[in-house]
Amino acid sequence: MHLAAALTVFAAASLTTVMPQIDSHQQYSFDGSNALASQIRQGAPADVFESANTAIPQQLYDEGLVEKPVVFTRNALIMIVPKANPAHLHSVYDLRRDGIKLVVAAPGVPVGDYTRTVLHNLGLDSALSNVVSNENDVRAVLAKVALGEADAGFVYTTDARTVRGKVATIGIRWSAQPIVQYAVAVVRSSSHKAAARAFVAKLLRPTAQMRLQAAGFLRLK
Amino acid sequence: MAALRLDFTLPLRDFELTLALDVVRTVALVGPSGAGKTSVLRAIAGLARPSAGRIELGDETWLDVERGIDLRPEERRVGLVFQEYALFPHLSVRGNVAYGGRGRVDELLERFHIAHLAEVKPGTLSGGERQRVALARALAREPAVLLLDEPLSALDAHTKSQVRGELSELLHGLDLPTVLVTHDYEDAAALADEVGVIVDGKLRQLAAPAELVARPKDAFVASFTGANLLHGIARRAGDDLTEVRLPGGEQLFSSDHGEGEVGVVVYPWEISVARSHTVDSALNVVRGEIGSVVEVGNRVRVRIGPVTAEITASSSERLELARGGVAYATFKATGTRIVSL
Amino acid sequence: MRRVVAALGVFLATFVALGFLALPIVAIFVRVPPGRLIAQLGNPVVTDALLVSLETTLVAQALILAFGTPAAYVLASRRFRGRGLLVTLVELPLVLPPAVAGIGLLAAFGRTGLLHTSIPFTQAAVVLAVAFVASPLYVRAGIAAFEGVDANVVAASRTLGAGPVRTFFRVVLPLARAGLVAGAALAFARGLGEFGATIMFAGSLRGVTQTLPLAVYSQFDVNFEVALAVSALLVLISAALLVALKWLPSASTSRFRFATSS
Repeated sequence: MHLAAALTVFAAASLTTVMPQIDSHQQYSFDGSNALASQIRQGAPADVFESANTAIPQQLYDEGLVEKPVVFTRNALIMIVPKANPAHLHSVYDLRRDGIKLVVAAPGVPVGDYTRTVLHNLGLDSALSNVVSNENDVRAVLAKVALGEADAGFVYTTDARTVRGKVATIGIRWSAQPIVQYAVAVVRSSSHKAAARAFVAKLLRPTAQMRLQAAGFLRLK
Repeated sequence: MAALRLDFTLPLRDFELTLALDVVRTVALVGPSGAGKTSVLRAIAGLARPSAGRIELGDETWLDVERGIDLRPEERRVGLVFQEYALFPHLSVRGNVAYGGRGRVDELLERFHIAHLAEVKPGTLSGGERQRVALARALAREPAVLLLDEPLSALDAHTKSQVRGELSELLHGLDLPTVLVTHDYEDAAALADEVGVIVDGKLRQLAAPAELVARPKDAFVASFTGANLLHGIARRAGDDLTEVRLPGGEQLFSSDHGEGEVGVVVYPWEISVARSHTVDSALNVVRGEIGSVVEVGNRVRVRIGPVTAEITASSSERLELARGGVAYATFKATGTRIVSL
Repeated sequence: MRRVVAALGVFLATFVALGFLALPIVAIFVRVPPGRLIAQLGNPVVTDALLVSLETTLVAQALILAFGTPAAYVLASRRFRGRGLLVTLVELPLVLPPAVAGIGLLAAFGRTGLLHTSIPFTQAAVVLAVAFVASPLYVRAGIAAFEGVDANVVAASRTLGAGPVRTFFRVVLPLARAGLVAGAALAFARGLGEFGATIMFAGSLRGVTQTLPLAVYSQFDVNFEVALAVSALLVLISAALLVALKWLPSASTSRFRFATSS
């Protein structure tokens, strides 16, 4: 039962579907984690910040804008292609081919950095020359592949599940996956700090964690 | 010069206009506004399309609806002077006159006394100057037919009389089939050899100006040419006269014949004016209040009761005619015509 | 007393309105010192974006002029059934949210769209997006400009021996020029600032499709100073355009008006 006013939660785009399932009473703003951090720096009235990596909340903590971040879930990357697979891609290594329309998130956006890490780990730096667009958040990447305009894209495994009918997935072997950890922090300028801390605590408890895993997020180690 | 033959039907907004006439020299088309006179000019120029008929110049066919011939405006050798002149505002006077591209620009500028304005843009010219530019421009192309749309209406009264004289001289000198359109009968009479009266889309009468005045075919033509038109009931009287009773009770006698509801036509210059009634050979005497005294050049038009008389200015002074006074208008029975209404 | 209050109110309202419009623009130049701004102009992100913007907007502008001028002329000079509908259609992109325009472009030209082209993600896509949102501004101004040309003057040209084409170039175009130029400048400015349709239809790739507005957006979260520099650049270009338009000698049509009385 919630008697308190709704909190303003800035959350990474990949949490769009699962956060309302965990707590439907709060006000969410979903966007690329770096865009949200920008807004917090400009003084946006957020109470809680959930980022798709640990580096960005750490920066904000160093700048004195948030309390100490806590890791609350993990994710993995996956490659997606449109259901019709117009470029006939069957493995990540097919990205080496010329002329593939590859859409990824821009550097600075967590999933964009993760994508470049993955490609590097797979020895596929050259695939970056196939990038036709650097999107500002993962949902845009998802949309372009789901629409069939791009031949391939890199998103979180959790994202791929939300548009199951429209995309096909191509797995990435574990050894090449980057460490994708999501961190949450209470924003120092919040006027509902007690509620915000309670919210963070809730994220770490079994009920929320089960929801996250049901959505495809990975168990906290 | 070749004759322009017109014989067509032109659909207008509310009615159809039918016209059949040959233009050898200058023809003026007169009639009330909205009668379609400007549309006739546009049809001749190729800017409006008749639904039936032909337009020919000499042995050139410009329009033959039946045979599917319809020459475009640029293919017809017309010179059209628009009512508001339609000069090209972005070109100088020289640019305007030279637009039709046949040379002789300087000669025309001289002839129309606008050479000193050659480099000026039309925006600063007076009405009279603009008209001269429009004329020069139309003639520069050596057209075979000249069309003038209300050539004098855009001018003030003073300029008008001067320009009318100049224009009349010009038209005589040009010797081109010319059609001019005007709502002012006086202008038509001054400029044209023949005047055609168009009412409700039909050509009611085509004749020399004097003929129209002397022998108007019907009431409209009569009133249009400046005559007095009185309505009354006619019946035969003795002495081969017709008596006409006016609504005001006055009795008029005409040497013309008529019966029933008729119109009596009397010309202003055939009416004498006096301050008292003297019996003379004039059978018709109308006593009435002086409604208006208007100077027209060196003559004066006096409205007495239902009729307007035209007398000399000196006569008017001598009679001390003024509004509100009483006067007598007298005219002979032979000075009247009876027309059907 | 009431009049003084009213006058004061009007003055205050004006001050607020003008201040509101001027403040964000002034703030851009105040936040970063001019020295650092100019230094940022050497940043390859900025120069790449500038090149892409100029190339695509100029090509789009050429297309807008080439196709928009005859379209505006036809719509202005002829009355036909369905004309009103066509004019509304032409004006539609003006009131559409740019994102909707982007979706429309994808639906039409996308790989999975109506025409199955491979235009998305190319510079051609940027040109199309820019042309789509900017052309209504030009066509609408063009229609007004052509309608303002006196029909009698056009008819006069025809009676003087000039066919429809010669009449168009020697009479109609010169008389409509001021309105056309103003419309073109508006369209150019709109095209330069286009964002929503571009990012949807063309995506964002430095040196290829990342225009100045897209660069502002992408740099905003990465390097605020660069975003400011690009914004300042956009403001300067737009201001230069407006000033050029005002000072163009033929921009004033008042020369062509004259009294209708003698």
